Amino acid sequence: MLVVCSVLGDRAAEFFELRYEFVINALLATSAVGLVCGVVGTFLVLRGLSLLGDAAGHATLPGVCAAFLITGAKTLPVLLTGALVSSGVSALAVTAFSRGRRVRPDAAIGIALTVSFAIGVCLLSIVQRSPAATQSGISDFLFGNAAGITRRQVVFLGATSAAILTATLVFHRALVLSVFDPNHARALGIPVRIVEGSLVVGMSLCVVVGIQCVGVVLVAAMLIIPASTGRLIANTVVGVMLSAAVVGVLSAWGGVFVSFLGEGLSTGPTMVLCAAFFFVVALLFGPQGGLLRRRATEGAIT
Amino acid sequence: MIDFLYEAFVAPWTWGAWMWRGVLAAALIAVSASAAGVFLYLRRMSLLTDALSHVALAGVVGAYLVTGSVGAGAMLGGAIVAGVLSSLLIGKLATHPKVRDDAAIGIVFTAVFALAVILLSTVARDVHIDVQCVLFGNVLGISDHSLLLLTLTAPMTLALIFVFFRPLVLSTFDPLHAAAVGVPVVLVSYGLMSMVSVTAAAGFEAVGAILVVAMFIIPAATAHLFARSVRGMIVVSIATAVMSAVLGMYVSVWTNVYSGGAIVVVAGLIYLLAFLFAPEHGRLRSPGPASGLRIHGALP
Repeated sequence: MLVVCSVLGDRAAEFFELRYEFVINALLATSAVGLVCGVVGTFLVLRGLSLLGDAAGHATLPGVCAAFLITGAKTLPVLLTGALVSSGVSALAVTAFSRGRRVRPDAAIGIALTVSFAIGVCLLSIVQRSPAATQSGISDFLFGNAAGITRRQVVFLGATSAAILTATLVFHRALVLSVFDPNHARALGIPVRIVEGSLVVGMSLCVVVGIQCVGVVLVAAMLIIPASTGRLIANTVVGVMLSAAVVGVLSAWGGVFVSFLGEGLSTGPTMVLCAAFFFVVALLFGPQGGLLRRRATEGAIT
Repeated sequence: MIDFLYEAFVAPWTWGAWMWRGVLAAALIAVSASAAGVFLYLRRMSLLTDALSHVALAGVVGAYLVTGSVGAGAMLGGAIVAGVLSSLLIGKLATHPKVRDDAAIGIVFTAVFALAVILLSTVARDVHIDVQCVLFGNVLGISDHSLLLLTLTAPMTLALIFVFFRPLVLSTFDPLHAAAVGVPVVLVSYGLMSMVSVTAAAGFEAVGAILVVAMFIIPAATAHLFARSVRGMIVVSIATAVMSAVLGMYVSVWTNVYSGGAIVVVAGLIYLLAFLFAPEHGRLRSPGPASGLRIHGALP
């Protein structure tokens, strides 16, 4: 036990010295993920579209595989472009299919999720057969591997994140209005359909930024959990957004740290568990309806 | 021509037992999941199946850590416990004024699945569940153990639906009325979730989580485009599910891709055809009025 503790302590000391470049790269890349997913996830959660992020995450797999099969290249921009196209298409398809009788929006999300992921699985079996490809690079996309990120990729991810953040800031008012009161927004002359579509595209961009660190299966969690935590902390949209971003970045760092300590831990699951930890803390002690606080102030509430 | 048809449709059956076993496994999953899926669809709880299928993995891992075995009983028991606990948790979370029900689903199942993945790569390494296999399944290499599990659970699911048909329908469409005439609505609801968990646990090792989730959601959605009654919807749902399973197996054999993936893609194509051409509700038959995008994942 003592030996294990001291080994872990040494590993932790190594981590905090930031001696390795791959640790710094991983921290930078995951911070970008936590930041943009927190900000954009806020609008998704407020709009009631949380699980669309799950569908978009799974839908990146066919794009990644198709991009690899078509170009034969494993460079990040190529793969991520494929991911963006396929996740954007399937998310927009859900919004299109959902408008109409006899289609349940939740089922539409489920269908898009399973079918697009299944197409990805079929393509993956072709990728795994192709002799040129060691499939390791593609498999990393399932659960994320932040340790494999290079400095150049960090720059690429950072630039994409900056673009997403700028767009959110510029269109902040239109987004808030159409999320909370579409009819009022329409009366003010805001093209709600277009804003909604851009939100879906923005979500796909976040997913694409996230998949390399978190993986396609769990990337939705980084959209949903920090934003939900933010709702328990703050009471204004800007406040929720800021706290979601902070929680996102903190969970990213925590996740990288834990996966550095443990051998063979993917960064995706560790980041998600850190985010879930922050959610539970906010649920118990958060200023907005924290369970323990409510009980203390208002007496018996069931 | 005859030769070609023979090569395409008959020959695969003569290549060995794996084709029979694969089709049998896929069809069993298709039947039980698509029948239960109808009720989940009608309750707007389709996405809960996605959550419960992910959670079932955690249940199996947890059962292994507690009992040290991966026998059928431990697996299914673990899946039921994990499934019911998660549904309870999701239901509780969703009552919080600041947490929507869809967010509650998303939070609980991603966190539990992440935990399961971590446990699998650390303390439960001996459980011999390959995470990639859990996602994609291995229909053609299905083990005797998994096949047995499916042959036991699928008829059980159907029998339960048959026996409890009235309470299920009543509490699905009008929970208040159902409660008034003495149907234990909450119990029925958790029974349904246990059924989903059992089907998911029995299925994911054999055919992959993705196929199980798809078989819960897609055939029911397809059936809704045709159906006029719940009974009819169940029949259509099972029929399209079995059709996708068999056709998907052929596609998988012809193109040499993962069977689970191929079956889901076929099911998706059948849904698309129904969406466009279904007699009463197909888009190309009668253009429906537009409605806003609303997502419900409501729990009772």
